[in-house]
Amino acid sequence: MLAEPLRFADIRRTSAFRLTAMLGATFAAGIVLLTGTIYLLTARELTDRSDRILADLAGRMLAVAPQALPARVRLETERAGSGLNYYGLLGSDGEPVAGMLRMPPSLRYDQPADIEDAGHGIGPIRLLAKRTDRGETLLVGRDITQIRDLRVRMLGILVWSGVAIAIGVGATAIGLSLGPLRRVRDLQAASRAIAEGHLERRMPLAGRHDELDQFADTVNAMVEDVGRTIAQVKGVTDAIAHDLRTPLTRVRANLHRIAQDDALAPDHRARLTQAVDDLDTVLERFAALLRISELEAGSRRAGFAAVDLGAIAASVADLYEPLAEDSGITLSFDCDPLPLHGDEKLLFEAVSNLVDNAIKFGRAGGHVRITTGGDAARWHLDVADDGPGIAADEREAVLRRFHRGSNAASAPGSGLGLSVVSAILGAHGLRLDLRDAQPGLIARITPAE
Amino acid sequence: MSVSDAYARVMPRILVIEDDIGTAREIAAELAGHGHDMTIARDGATGLDRATREGFDAITLDRMLPAVDGLEVVRILRERRITTPVLMISALSDVDERIAGLRAGGDDYLIKPFAPNEMAMRVEVLIRRHHDRADTMLLRAGDIELDLVRRTVHVAGEAVRLLHMEFRLLEFLMRNRGEVVSRRIIFEQVWGYYFDPGANLINVHIARLRKKLDRPGAPSAIQTIKGEGYRLDAG
Repeated sequence: MLAEPLRFADIRRTSAFRLTAMLGATFAAGIVLLTGTIYLLTARELTDRSDRILADLAGRMLAVAPQALPARVRLETERAGSGLNYYGLLGSDGEPVAGMLRMPPSLRYDQPADIEDAGHGIGPIRLLAKRTDRGETLLVGRDITQIRDLRVRMLGILVWSGVAIAIGVGATAIGLSLGPLRRVRDLQAASRAIAEGHLERRMPLAGRHDELDQFADTVNAMVEDVGRTIAQVKGVTDAIAHDLRTPLTRVRANLHRIAQDDALAPDHRARLTQAVDDLDTVLERFAALLRISELEAGSRRAGFAAVDLGAIAASVADLYEPLAEDSGITLSFDCDPLPLHGDEKLLFEAVSNLVDNAIKFGRAGGHVRITTGGDAARWHLDVADDGPGIAADEREAVLRRFHRGSNAASAPGSGLGLSVVSAILGAHGLRLDLRDAQPGLIARITPAE
Repeated sequence: MSVSDAYARVMPRILVIEDDIGTAREIAAELAGHGHDMTIARDGATGLDRATREGFDAITLDRMLPAVDGLEVVRILRERRITTPVLMISALSDVDERIAGLRAGGDDYLIKPFAPNEMAMRVEVLIRRHHDRADTMLLRAGDIELDLVRRTVHVAGEAVRLLHMEFRLLEFLMRNRGEVVSRRIIFEQVWGYYFDPGANLINVHIARLRKKLDRPGAPSAIQTIKGEGYRLDAG
């Protein structure tokens, strides 16, 4: 069996990947929360400190005599060469008296606020406005670039650590998933081989005694049991076949020999011949039942090869064309190649049975068509007649009944024809559908779900 | 005189290897009735020993034997380069069993219980095929002539066009000319499938062949033997 390549979609669905991704996401959320909290607390502390300093600076300015205040504001503005503190004094009419600061419209008295642009290229700053006894406005500002830098730095840390965590978690998740996924693939390959009838195959063990090993061990024990049971059933079937058929051969031969006796009364001979015929019917059904059970046991799958169902159907059409013509039925064939893994002789038998039925139960002077359709995944091969067909509810019953094999007494022939067909198709992972051809019946071979 | 005609003059010797004495006697009685000289071996080792030392024309071999199994018997025979045709008779009907039997070196496979005349027909088909093997590439029966090299058929000197399977059907009937062959044997030997396709299917193929071979007013070369099968007259 060819190993299918590992796709990311398969890796993504593994428990290891999901668990690692989930743990990674939780870790990343923790990091965000932690970094965010540190930033918020630090920013608040720095702002509180700025506000205290601003209140202190404003208090000191307001303690200055009102007449000297403009000169003091100018002096402090000149002093504050470091660019850390800023001052401004506005008259009661709002016009600037001293300093570089102006009153932003959003600012309220006694409530310090962050101002992005306070004019003259100043900002961002924390700004406090105070009203003097003379109705003037004193503005005191303090640079907050430091706090802003802190925020940018914190964001940077968050983004880069996020990327690093995502890469780390992704790589770890993939690394942790690959091993188990490869093992699951090996287990799948082994289970497919077992399902195909290789009951001697076992699930591979890694020797780690982990959950996969435990599972494989359980399945192996089960396969061992199934193999033993099948071997026992096969042994019993063979024994039944041998022990019943050998004496039946003698009975049949004896009856046949007695029937050949010239001294025999004609009606006795007729009854003997009837007995031989009845015995043959019993034996045919017996053989059909044995075949069905053998096919359902799946032991033949080990001997499958590449075949073309379309070509098989063509050979069947060739074989049955004279019979159709003799029955006044036109047999038409239009099939595409249908490559399958299967047994040519068994599939030939299955298609033959369907074509034989279609001719037998079709309309005299009618048409039997063997066609293919659908696409590569959902193809179908139809054998359709235009005879009386079977009513919808009866169609299901026919299939069900055949499944149970309880129709053996009522149907003509061995009475197990469709059961053999179903068993053959089942062994190939195919199934039989009966549909309405309006008029007539379509027997459709299609891949099982 | 061909080899196949020559074999018919002496009594063919047939070995029955069968552990069930009742079945062995039935087989022997039926084949003796067809003019064969019969020998019975009750187990695989004796059968193998006799088949190796004595020259038989055919062997019927039970698939399930005590001690040395039927498959093993035929395998050892072929290893010893004994080419006597072997009809394997088995209670095992599985297709795999048939394949295993034929792969081991069996020439035909018959499932128990069987009609005795069907068994006799198969043995005779095997014997004829065995003698035919190195035969001429031209088969003749009455006024029918079949050339296996040129793949042509002539009836009373007149060419007849046959389809591929019609040619193979006629070839099989001609190789067994003068003998009755059942529909089942025809289906197995000509088409190579091992299920019962129903009597009608073979009948219509024979009818088609007859249409091409038969001449107006003349009796058909292929006779229907009621309840048994068909026979191509040797002429």
